[in-house]
This record gives sequence, C-alpha cells and structure tokens, in this order.
Amino acid sequence: MTDESVIPSTVRNNSAEKASNKIPVGCKDKNTFVPRFLTGVVVLTVLSLIYLNIDWLKLLSRVPDVGVVFWDLAHFDFSDMDIIFSSMLETVSIAVLSLLYSLILGIAFGMIAARNIFKITWLSVLTQSFFTFLRAVPTPVWVLLMLVCLGMGSEAGVAGLCVHTTAFFTKSFAQSFESISDETMEALEVTGTSRLSIFINAVLPAAFSQIVAWTGMRLETNFSECAILGMVGAGGIGYVISRNLQNYNYGSAGIAILLVFIVAYVIERLFVHIKKKI
Amino acid sequence: MDKILKFENVSKHYPNGVHALKNVSFEVNEGEFVSIIGPSGSGKSTILRSINKLIPISDGNITLDGLLVSQQKGKELRKLRRKVGMIFQNYNLVYSLSVLQNVLHGRLGYMDGLKGIFGLYSEEDKKEAINLLNELGMEQFCYNRASDLSGGQKQRVGIARAIMQNPKLLLCDEPIASLDPSSAKTIMDLLRDMTRKRNIACIVNLHQLDVAIKYSTRIIGLSKGEVVFDGPPEKLTDDVIERIYNTSRENLMIGGAGNDKKDSADCA
Repeated sequence: MTDESVIPSTVRNNSAEKASNKIPVGCKDKNTFVPRFLTGVVVLTVLSLIYLNIDWLKLLSRVPDVGVVFWDLAHFDFSDMDIIFSSMLETVSIAVLSLLYSLILGIAFGMIAARNIFKITWLSVLTQSFFTFLRAVPTPVWVLLMLVCLGMGSEAGVAGLCVHTTAFFTKSFAQSFESISDETMEALEVTGTSRLSIFINAVLPAAFSQIVAWTGMRLETNFSECAILGMVGAGGIGYVISRNLQNYNYGSAGIAILLVFIVAYVIERLFVHIKKKI
Repeated sequence: MDKILKFENVSKHYPNGVHALKNVSFEVNEGEFVSIIGPSGSGKSTILRSINKLIPISDGNITLDGLLVSQQKGKELRKLRRKVGMIFQNYNLVYSLSVLQNVLHGRLGYMDGLKGIFGLYSEEDKKEAINLLNELGMEQFCYNRASDLSGGQKQRVGIARAIMQNPKLLLCDEPIASLDPSSAKTIMDLLRDMTRKRNIACIVNLHQLDVAIKYSTRIIGLSKGEVVFDGPPEKLTDDVIERIYNTSRENLMIGGAGNDKKDSADCA
C-alpha cells in the first residue's frame, strides 16, 4: 500500500491544486482575531515602555541589593513574636469576619441579582450594575474610605473588605443560582410553592457546593488583601510589616512575611481538601 | 362524575408567530386517564403547561376545578397550582437533596410563613412521604441522594412528589421518554394504579402509541394544534392515526417502510 492511498480523495485533490504534497490541517476560514490581538499587545507594550521611560540598565545595577535585603530578612529576629502573632490573629479574624458577613449579604443580594429567582428583570439588572460599580473600585480605596468614616482600626478593615467581598459574592452566587436548571425550578413552581421558598429549599441546596468553592477561593484573597490593608492603617500584620521595614527592622519583618506565606498556604491546602469532600 | 378540567376554544399564539393551539375544546372528568398523542410540535406540551398557567393562553377559557385559570394570580394561583401535580420527562428533582426531601417538596405549597420558607415539615407529612415511598417500593432509598438513583427510580420519586400535593389532577409530560422499556412499564403501571386508587384524573403526553392504547380510558389526538380525535382507545382506527401523524401506521414503527427523511423533517 502506498502513502497516497490512505489520503481521502478530496484532500488529495486539494493538495494537488496547491501543487504541494503536504496535507493542510488548519480550519478553512481562519480566525484572524488572535493574530490581530497579539499584534495589539506588542504595540501597547512598546508604547508603555516609551511612556514610562524605564531605565533597565540602572535597575540591573541595583539587582545585587535585592539579595542583600533578602539576606537581612532571613536573619529572623524573634524579639517581637508576641506582637507579630497577635497581629496575625487580628488579620485572620478580619478576613474571616468580613467573609462571613459578606457570605450572608452575598446570598441575599445574589438571590435578587439572579434573573431566574424572582423573575423581576429590572431589579436584577439594577442590583448587578450597582455591585459592578462597587467591584470596580479596588478594596484599599474602600478601606481608606471606611478609615475616614469609622476611624483607624480593624472595624474599618472589616467594613472595607465587606464592600468588595459582598460585591464579588453577589456576582458569583447569582451566576451559580442562574445555572440551576429552569426545569427544576418549574417542578417546584407547579406545586404552588412561593419563590422565596423555592430559593431556600431547592436553589440554595443545589448551589451549595459552588458556594463553598467560591467562599474558599475568597478567603485566600481576603487574607492576602488584609495583609496589604494593614499598611494603610486598618490594623493587622500588614501594619507590623510596613512599620518594621520602615525602621530597617528586617529580622522582624522577615518573620512576619514568612508567617503570612505559611497561613496563606495552609488556607489553600485546607480548601483543596474541603473541595475534594464536596 | 365531576368535571375537573374544561378547555373552551383555547388558542395559543407564541410571539414568534407559531399557532401552538387552535380552538382546542375538551373536558376531563374525575378519575379519567387521558393520553394526549401527536407528533412533536403539535401542541401537547402547550396544553399541559397552560393548565397550571406555566404558559398563559391567548384566547378561550380553561376552567380547573370550577375556577378560571387565566384569572388567578399570586397567592390564588399558587393555591390552584397545588391541586395539580406534574411529572416531567427529566424528573426535575433537586439532586443534591435526599429522596425524602424531594418527596416532601410536594408539601411546600401548603406551608405558610417561615415553616414554608425554611422547609420545616410536620411529622405527619414526613410519615405520609415515607408511606408513599413504601407504596412505590422505594423505602430503602429514603435517605439516599436523589442523584444516586436510576432513571426509573428518579421518576418514582417524581410521582411521589406529585402525589404528596394531594392533587385532583396529575399532568405527566412524556414521563417515560427517557426510560428503558421495563422501567417505562413500571412507571405507567404505577401511574395508572395510584391515580385510580386515589381517584385522581391523569393527563399524559405520550409518544408511544401502543402505551397510550394500553393504559388510557380516553385518547386525545392532536395535529398542528388542533384536536383531531377525542375518544376511547378502541375507536382509534388506522385512519385516525394517519390523520394525527400525517403518515401511515406502519411508518410509525421504527424500521417501517416509510420515507424516513420526510418523516423526521415533519416531526422535528
């Protein structure tokens, strides 16, 4: 059997026309969007480089300093352990508390934002647009606003984190609720059940595993954001890190940073484990 | 015998211009077992769904248990809906919940206030649900997840949920279309026996002509949104079948001598 015989006749004709013996593998009408997109990225990168006027050579000469700083950070100073631990506990508490409040608010607003629960389209669109606005403004900005309103301290951290987290949960929960099949909802609708009752008895249990997954993902984000928020004055480990860095207290800062990494890693592993169970 | 349901010159036009129902009139009495047959797109589902106002009709009157369906709204509509149980081709259970919880969903329409919202069922309801599952031969699956059941078992849970409503009328939208022949027979037997025992009127949409003839006390034949036959199964002659399906009876059997291409194009 020759090679020619295994090639379908249509393909053989095609390749004959192109006067080449290679078989084409791409789609007939090629998608031109991807090459155009990539060209756009390259152009934007070049423009950004020109605009920012970054001096890479000067930066390169500073690289050895990075090693020095990390070397200093690695010389752990255990003298401030009590403050570091208590502020770490504060950070975790802020993250957990804001998560819990947002979870409750997110389920309530997600119910309104989902188009299939109450079937009031204007209300869903209004809720979704409002929370899109809240989400567009970054968390540190909300925390700074709350610091102005509520004063320094962890209350502002919880409140500021809640704004963004609730907005995030509203969108993601609404999506989860909308993915519940209309037929299942219909089956309860025809029993004469009210829409709120359908939501709690059918939609919520069906979306439960997705809610847990979103929550786990968000706890990670909240924790890392919380670490940043301390730097703007909302209490917690971030404040300890920034203060120690400013005072060239690299040993204590090093321990705090390591602790942040350990806690973040533990949270991640924990939720990987929980996700497997559901 | 009491009249449960009455269709008077019911028409339905969809916004896309499809006339799903044209001047449909029929009555259903207590305890009847009515099959609606007809090709896909003939309006079978529209008839069932207009009875509990899942689809609003364009013209005519539907009277359910003495009340005009089109006039019911909000709480009154919910009250009317709980008199009508419904069974679906795809079972439409909440698969993350237990079998018992799914059956108890049938009672939610009767529960007011916080009890209804949070699904706090009474002990009596729970007992009734367990008895019902016993009757359906499903007692050992009470506490299993609904997702773990086979198709026939899921449909039995669907039946239990509908019967829990204490309905006067049971609507079945192609209840056996996703089942193997043996499960299909079990489900049809259960539907017939349980509705007969409780004197519930039953309307079943069917694609299987032989099943319709075997189980029904009456058959309604639909073609392009019009009732072309309404009578006992014995009177369903080959002529009538040809009028309903627009093709001869032999062509309805899979592997029949008919022009397959034409048939599927008509029915699709």
